[in-house]
Amino acid sequence: MSEGYYGRPIVKPPTWTDLIPTYFFAGGLAGAAATLAFAERTARNDRLARAMIFGAAAGCAVSAFCLIADLKKPERFMNMLRVVKPTSPMSVGVYIFSAFSGSVFIAAGSEITGVARSAGRFFEAIAGLIGPVMSVYTAVLVGDTVMPAWHLPRKTLPGLFAATSATSAGAWGLLFASARDNGSARRLALVGGTAMVAVLQALHHEIGPAQAQAYSKGEAGALARSARLLNVSGIVCAALGKDSNAISRIAGALLLAGGLTERFAVYRAGCASAKDPKYVLEAQKSN
Amino acid sequence: MSRACPEPVEGFIDLTSAAAESATYGAEERDRMGFFTDTTLCIGCKACEVACKEWNQLPSDGYEFTGESYDNTKELSGNTWRHVAFVEQMEPERDTGRWLMESDVCKHCTHAGCLDVCPTGAIIRTEFGTVVIQDDICNGCGYCVVACPFGVIGEKQEDHTMGKCTLCYDRLKVGEQPACAKACPTESIQYGVVDELRERAEKRLEKVQQKFDGAQLYLNDPNDGVGGGGSLFLLLDKPQVYGLPPNPIVPTKDLPQRWRTAGIAAAALFGAVVLCAVSRR
Repeated sequence: MSEGYYGRPIVKPPTWTDLIPTYFFAGGLAGAAATLAFAERTARNDRLARAMIFGAAAGCAVSAFCLIADLKKPERFMNMLRVVKPTSPMSVGVYIFSAFSGSVFIAAGSEITGVARSAGRFFEAIAGLIGPVMSVYTAVLVGDTVMPAWHLPRKTLPGLFAATSATSAGAWGLLFASARDNGSARRLALVGGTAMVAVLQALHHEIGPAQAQAYSKGEAGALARSARLLNVSGIVCAALGKDSNAISRIAGALLLAGGLTERFAVYRAGCASAKDPKYVLEAQKSN
Repeated sequence: MSRACPEPVEGFIDLTSAAAESATYGAEERDRMGFFTDTTLCIGCKACEVACKEWNQLPSDGYEFTGESYDNTKELSGNTWRHVAFVEQMEPERDTGRWLMESDVCKHCTHAGCLDVCPTGAIIRTEFGTVVIQDDICNGCGYCVVACPFGVIGEKQEDHTMGKCTLCYDRLKVGEQPACAKACPTESIQYGVVDELRERAEKRLEKVQQKFDGAQLYLNDPNDGVGGGGSLFLLLDKPQVYGLPPNPIVPTKDLPQRWRTAGIAAAALFGAVVLCAVSRR
């Protein structure tokens, strides 16, 4: 007989849909993009700042849709706002996302219309400061579950989310700003992409070979391998395409696809670690 | 008023224990109530499953023949709040063996992961120290589903909120016992004050241990990973044999450390972006 009780899961996999990993991607991109927009504005590179604040706004719009549409009762979304619960990363996250996306939409609205410039810049700065928290809190959200693949990488999962967010934001800049203006985005994509590959190694090491199977086998493993291929080719293009708009855009597209694929790989790994009881049993043996 | 659980164990978030939460009811606080499920008395009749469905008006999860002994219920879900597990342990070369039966239910944990993570406040600790989902508040985010170390909670397909055992909150309110305990013909399911159930379970274990080697209590220890359960079990084999986690831990236990690590990662991300921006040309 299979492990446990007829091989049935001990914990339940998420009831969430693919909108949730999509949200992790879009929200992560938005966070790091807003920070880059703020930094570029301060460095007086308005063209890249403009591309980045629009990227943040696009990310926020996608995020808001995903978050609400994934609820089984979307019409009750506002119930999230009737309490503040420090013990719930989702409750904390709703307020982080509300403050962040509100700031981003004001900044992007001002940027596109030219209305209330100084208010726009003020909220762009606020969004830039909240941005990194927006990018990383989702690692706490999934870490605070009983899915072994998410719960066990205590040290490395936030780093992976930060690195993936940096890569995606840099990739957005490569895709939507010209080669003349996108130097910072290129550096961010290179730093983030390299960090992503390194942190993934560290994650496998942190949780050990038995638990790492959730990340390396099945659908999660296939997605992870595709993501690595996309990211490594994206990094190469980004490094080589310094003076070429076309190669920069290809690098941006590859890294955006790589980031999205990596989010799905992590998401599927969490589901896989719930569906097969061996992960829960292995994790609780060592405790 | 009795405090059914001791001071919070180190590492837990202090304000989120059954005692601290039910104390917020002030004068309306009641003794902490729970179940002691003595699996040695279970005959697998599933009267608990039926009584639960009837009283709580829960629809069927469908009719499927699993071939897994007499268990066609499979697992606890949004609409199935009692689940009788059947484990056939046969000696390979002989015609002897034993048949384990266990009626599973929500554990009403002292430190309840579902309650901690619920972002709407739909999940509450009642004045009886039990954990209840208010289905008129739940917006179906599903966070509780992945925060339960026992896989108890599921989606109620017909109204899209999350569902689990309420320990018959409505019956408790009027001094009745939960439907499953009332229906159980062998007193395998016993309802009562958790403190008293713990004592009763210890005594029963002493007796059963004389006959069965693997007999053990499950979730009776207030120092375990969930601070002990409001539902206790006497098992005849290891918890995982019944599909229960051997060493459950509430996921929120190390939440402060998680936020600290995330803070470092966020600071690193901010630093990286700024460095990339200033190291131009």
